[in-house]
Amino acid sequence: MKQGKLFYYIPYGLWIALFVIAPVVLIVYQSFFNIAGHFTLSNYATYFHSGVYLKMTFNSVWYAFLITAITLLISYPTAYLLNQLKHKQLWLLLIILPTWINLLLKTYAFIGLLSRSGSVDSFLTFIGIGPKQLLFTDASFLFVATYIEIPFMILPIYNAIAELSPSYVNASRDLGASGWQTFSRVIFPLTLDGVKSGVQSVFIPSLSLFMITRLIGGNRVITLGTAIEQHFLVTQNWGMGSTIGVILIVAMVITMLLTGERKKKGRTRHAK
Amino acid sequence: MAKTIIEFKDIVKRYGETEVLKGINFQIEQGKFYTLLGPSGCGKTTILRIIAGFTDASEGDVMFDGKRINNVPANKRKVNTVFQDYALFPHMNVFDNVAFPLTLRKVSKKDIRTRVLDALKMVQLSGYEDREINEISGGQQQRVAIARAIVNEPDVLLLDEPLSALDMKLRKEMQYELRALQQRLGITFIFVTHDQEEALAMSDEIFVMNAGQVLQTGSPVDIYDEPINHFVADFIGESNIVRGHMVADYLVSFAGHEFKCVDAGMRPNEPVEVVIRPEDLDITTVAKGSLTMTVDTQLFRGVFFEITGHDDTGNSWRIRSIHRTEVGAQVGVFFDPEDIHVMRFNESEEDFDARLETYEGEESDR
Amino acid sequence: MQSKLSGWSKAYLIIVFIILYAPILFLVMYSFSKGNTMSNFHGFTFDHYQTLFHDPRLIQIVLDTLIVALLSSLFATIIGTAGALGVYETRHRAIRQTVLSLNNILMVSPDVIIGASFLIFFTMLGLRLGFISVLLSHIAFSIPIVVLLVLPKLNEMNASMIDAAADLGANPWQTLTRVILPAIMPGIFSGFLMAVTYSLDDFAVTFFVTGNGFSTLSVEIYSRARQGVDLEINALSALWFLVSLLLIAGYYFLEQYNQGRKTKNRQQVEAVIK
Repeated sequence: MKQGKLFYYIPYGLWIALFVIAPVVLIVYQSFFNIAGHFTLSNYATYFHSGVYLKMTFNSVWYAFLITAITLLISYPTAYLLNQLKHKQLWLLLIILPTWINLLLKTYAFIGLLSRSGSVDSFLTFIGIGPKQLLFTDASFLFVATYIEIPFMILPIYNAIAELSPSYVNASRDLGASGWQTFSRVIFPLTLDGVKSGVQSVFIPSLSLFMITRLIGGNRVITLGTAIEQHFLVTQNWGMGSTIGVILIVAMVITMLLTGERKKKGRTRHAK
Repeated sequence: MAKTIIEFKDIVKRYGETEVLKGINFQIEQGKFYTLLGPSGCGKTTILRIIAGFTDASEGDVMFDGKRINNVPANKRKVNTVFQDYALFPHMNVFDNVAFPLTLRKVSKKDIRTRVLDALKMVQLSGYEDREINEISGGQQQRVAIARAIVNEPDVLLLDEPLSALDMKLRKEMQYELRALQQRLGITFIFVTHDQEEALAMSDEIFVMNAGQVLQTGSPVDIYDEPINHFVADFIGESNIVRGHMVADYLVSFAGHEFKCVDAGMRPNEPVEVVIRPEDLDITTVAKGSLTMTVDTQLFRGVFFEITGHDDTGNSWRIRSIHRTEVGAQVGVFFDPEDIHVMRFNESEEDFDARLETYEGEESDR
Repeated sequence: MQSKLSGWSKAYLIIVFIILYAPILFLVMYSFSKGNTMSNFHGFTFDHYQTLFHDPRLIQIVLDTLIVALLSSLFATIIGTAGALGVYETRHRAIRQTVLSLNNILMVSPDVIIGASFLIFFTMLGLRLGFISVLLSHIAFSIPIVVLLVLPKLNEMNASMIDAAADLGANPWQTLTRVILPAIMPGIFSGFLMAVTYSLDDFAVTFFVTGNGFSTLSVEIYSRARQGVDLEINALSALWFLVSLLLIAGYYFLEQYNQGRKTKNRQQVEAVIK
């Protein structure tokens, strides 16, 4: 069986070496080179000294926080209520279903919905609020980002609640706790792992969104993701792009440590 | 004497720091039914896994038919196993499961069919060959597992607590069947269990194990009647075990009295433990009793009453009696010299056997 | 649990579902509209589907996207399954944990990072960006999910089956092909399906590593969307939605089937124990 193990590890180990370790090393390595290809620390110096990058990072974190908070606020009750339904598995599937549709298509739909003389605009005009600039605003960016992230928050929370044995709730009620006390003292703490897992699944991708910022936010919101894309594909300053990438990786690690939890479940990768 | 098929020579097995087998030596003869009996974690399953080839011994030699097989992989050993959880392949039906070992070697379709049907017949499952594994009951799965293990005609069949998942009634039935099957096949069975009743009922030879060692080897009757130490006495059946000392050969003192017994070969005044089985004790009047006891509890168990009590010196006694008594009553407890079995402290199996030789010979001389 | 919800709760759930589905339905609806923008439904037509089917560039891109998806999933499934088997047979806890952590790096990394780092990697290798780089990237980011879906199936598998196979005379290869792979097939299948969805769903990584001349649907929609609304895209969305639905239905039934088998087995084991 020893040989079998080795045999299995040849392709898989190659993958780990080439596509997991090498890229991370390379992005760190690249961050020490300037646009002319000379070794330098100036990328980091620029990042920490120019207010632009720090402000952008702060902005990015702030928006990611807002997106995560709004998503959580909407998702927890939804996950809780879903668990009370008959055929809850089916309803859950219906929540997950939109995530299987290409993100670009959903974003594209919002362009149509929110554009000037789009449906929402017409509706607002109809009820007398009048035509408003909807696309390319902070609000539209937040709304679409939240929309995209909701299922990824619902899923882990739903699972945490579903795993919660009803006898805990019964025990709590039996011992005299009110509905709210039962929720705040028993249900919520026991489902906290699900919440953490959800926060992790939403916060990290939100930091690095760039497609939505471009198509919906109209470049008003610059996130770390947008900046990386800009440096890599537009200005071709890979060194600076990699530096921001390293910052993003650090932010990701911090987030994971803060929400530190062991098992991950039910998260499908996304967020373009 | 039958030929030795498997031999363990100073087998030690370590997992990191912990020694799960501490120098095991034994010989297994062809055509007998052996049982490895012991509490969970005593190493009995490890022995089975070493014989099957799933686990390597850390030290020592495993001999099969006179050849060292430590380095022979499991798939090349003429030994097959019936697993505790049966390990039937869920994606195959009954026929395919039993045929599996045959399809691995180039056996013709026709031969496979006859041999599978024979094996199924052997375990009384004829007509079940097209059933799916999850369509048949636990007891039937058990039989399929046995059929699959014997279809290859192994020299030795290993059974790892195969009956533990069955209910009481089915278990008893399977005990008879396994015993009958072993006699029909004429091959060696090595059966692992923690159930002493099962071991006593089925085996030619029992190895009683604890904490990585074989404590006692012998026929069921030997082990029941003459346990070597406290552990064996306690593990095999229920026992009253009290402390005492040997006054002289065939005279033991306990519970404040001296009694005739059938044990000898010990030092005068040597401290010993005395075993008397609850079914060997009878309730009688105080006057007729060997001992006097105050009854503490009495439970009706159907066939008998289970009575517990204590004597004047504080020993507690458990008695199985067909007569009832009263809680609180003073009663006599009667037993014969043959009912007493005396055990020395820390006596090894060799010493025990040697001691038995000396006076049993003496006894027959008289 | 009681399944009676108050009116407010029901209303809340209904609103959530409406919001989740509105954009999709909206997209599908306007694919049948006679107008050229996504406002004011102008009457029913199949025109946009016609345009779609007469757009060779778009059809080529759809085909490319599907080829990348299927090929990358196939390779990812093979490598990922091998990886899961490797991890399964690794008994050393620390090594196992390390390998799994490395495995999960691509699961949690933002796509932008994956895309950017792969871009650096391919450029350093001197690989021309295009079909190959996109395919390699898709294989790379699909592998971890395959491992994560296959590994539980291996752990669920009755380990004594492997001993049993060896005991009955199977060599390691026979044990793998005749016992292990059939037992974990559902996991391998879900892994493959997940890999397909990952690939079809990806935008950011592809966007980074695709050069000129090769495009997948997501990238194409992105560039078209930047130029404004084009109802041909709506038609494409509607078809895409249909395909997604079919994929999900397939996945769902597979899961149900597995679940069913699992509970059946469990009930049976319980019955045995009782």
